[in-house]
Amino acid sequence: MKKLFAMFLALAMALTMMSFASADDVTINFWYWADNDAYSQTMQEMIADFNATNGKGITVVGQEYPWDGGGYSQNLLTAALGGGAPDVSTFKLTATPSFTNNNLLANLDDLIANWEDKDQINENLYTTMKKASGTDSIYVMPWNTQVLYVYYRPSMFAEAGVSVPTTYEEFLDICAKLTRDTDGDGKTDVYGFGMRGSNGGQEPWGCFLYAGGGDFEHMDSEGAIKGMQDYIDLYKNGYAPETAPNDGFSQVIDNFKSGLTAMTIHHIGSSAQMMELFGDDVDAFIFPQGVGRWTSMGDTETVMFDSCQNKEAAFEWMAYLATGKGQETWCTVTGNVPVAARVQALPQFQENRFMKVSIEGSPVAGILPVLDTTTQWIADWPATIQKALLGETTAEECMKTLQAAMWEE
Amino acid sequence: MELKSRRKRFNIYPYLLLAPALIIMLSVVIVPIFNAFNMSFMNYNLTRPNKMGYNNFGNYVKMLNDSDFTGALWRTVVWVVFGVGGQFLFGFMLALILNKYFRGRGVARAVSLIPWVTPGVLIALMWSWMFDGNYGVINDLLMKLHLIDDKIAYLARKDTAMPSVIITIIWQGIPFFALMILAGLQGIPGDLYEAAAIDGATGIQKLFYVTIPSLRNTIFVTTMLRVIWVANSVDVIFNMTNGGPANSTQTLAVYVYKKASSLDMGYASAMAIALMLVLLVAAIPYLKSTFAEKGA
Repeated sequence: MKKLFAMFLALAMALTMMSFASADDVTINFWYWADNDAYSQTMQEMIADFNATNGKGITVVGQEYPWDGGGYSQNLLTAALGGGAPDVSTFKLTATPSFTNNNLLANLDDLIANWEDKDQINENLYTTMKKASGTDSIYVMPWNTQVLYVYYRPSMFAEAGVSVPTTYEEFLDICAKLTRDTDGDGKTDVYGFGMRGSNGGQEPWGCFLYAGGGDFEHMDSEGAIKGMQDYIDLYKNGYAPETAPNDGFSQVIDNFKSGLTAMTIHHIGSSAQMMELFGDDVDAFIFPQGVGRWTSMGDTETVMFDSCQNKEAAFEWMAYLATGKGQETWCTVTGNVPVAARVQALPQFQENRFMKVSIEGSPVAGILPVLDTTTQWIADWPATIQKALLGETTAEECMKTLQAAMWEE
Repeated sequence: MELKSRRKRFNIYPYLLLAPALIIMLSVVIVPIFNAFNMSFMNYNLTRPNKMGYNNFGNYVKMLNDSDFTGALWRTVVWVVFGVGGQFLFGFMLALILNKYFRGRGVARAVSLIPWVTPGVLIALMWSWMFDGNYGVINDLLMKLHLIDDKIAYLARKDTAMPSVIITIIWQGIPFFALMILAGLQGIPGDLYEAAAIDGATGIQKLFYVTIPSLRNTIFVTTMLRVIWVANSVDVIFNMTNGGPANSTQTLAVYVYKKASSLDMGYASAMAIALMLVLLVAAIPYLKSTFAEKGA
């Protein structure tokens, strides 16, 4: 009997220990995209670092997917609707309504309220996150941002006798002056502006919309139509390559790198390759003030899914990315703008000229309205703009179409 | 006795053997088609889950009033007629060449298959670079030959974008026609040509009175298959122009793909059903001939 009791006791102890162990060892499934091999490698190293150092038995299992021009968000939504959501995923703010409308995301209010690092992130960012969900709650955790600015070649500016524009009108003026026939064969060799008329072009185009006097809420206003007309005129007057309607990200960057264009709009993510190619002969400025001023804040966040069983453990990983070691590592490698004040103050960020421009642009940086029509609006933007660039529609017709697509039910 | 023979007649074994294939067919073909039919009568936009529900024929009515849809339908016809037509023409010519004996014919036959075995996305990228308006080799060659004075932005102009993607799909599909027709050519008895020669037929007459009539079934079946494949093809156009500029290369399949990608599944399903019906009409002669042959 004693033997039996001892065996029972030992078994009970073993089971208790096992249950403690399983309660402590938590696995968090994490989905992310990486734009290149270096980013992929960095993320894997960050996951390994977190797993080794968190001291709470949390194991993050990373699963990488391609960004696929935004296809990532759609695949994530499809997976979540089908019951296959990860615990945590990297995220774009514009996708928020699709997820919150389907009640897929975890409310982070309490976790953030009790988080010791919550003040490291500017209150404005939390406000933007709340706006995206259309509620007073936070469902999306800030991670890093990229502010769009204008890349330019100082040597080309010197050759054309122009300086960095301080107003929108000056910007339009130098687009013309920088467009040049450099070898005297009667054909344009350098275009003033590298225009992006294909996928993703809505963000640089937004600078013209605001500078003309419009905004995303009133895209059919007189100012907005003027901004669109300026955009069309840049193309029709030959200050942008003829390929512009079909040019996407890689084309505008390649055109700038080859010297075909003197200016183009992108964020700090391209700065490393620009500096590698041009050294000091590349610099940047924030799109100048017109009637209004706006630039796009490219954003990357993380979200936790409501189906996550270990929300506190998942939040540990999100916090590591937002204000911890992960924030510093990721922003150092990618050159993205950190959201944590402590990391922003580090020398490697303060001494980078492109980072300085990004931080300078932050006060005027914003995002597209986050509505349930936004995904379709973004998908339809290239065709709508291309019709205007190619003379099929007027600036006014184009802007009325865009306004209706965004705001009409 | 009669009961015994009935029992003998009913044997479950063949049905069990067929069951796995039938279950797979049912789950991956029939159920999705049924789902697509069902969704085509619904507001089924995943970005607006609160507004989901049946709208009867709302999507079909919207389709008829959607100039992008009617434009895409017309461009699908152009895409298929010129794409498949070009593939047939050049495939036929290639098959005739490869049917002749010449030194290195084996290598030529193998090399001619390259476009067919190359993934569509890769083909699209390759041709995008060749058609590139700033750095493309096609502009470079034409300028060196003094055929054009200035570079042409082939993929950014409405008048050149569609011909560019059609040239690409023709290049991709030539080997399929060549291979099928070559197999057909090798099945034509030599004595038909001898008889034609004795009757004094010229090369052209042999082509039109012996070769083509003998290949009628091969040409018919191959063309039908390519019509269906090319009409449904998305990869080349999507990767070269994304349907642009200004929708000038947006075929129905590309439009459906883009709508589905932006999660408007209801409207995308309705258009997919429309495309299926159009292709069914085109496929009826093929199906008829297939079943007629089976019957014979």
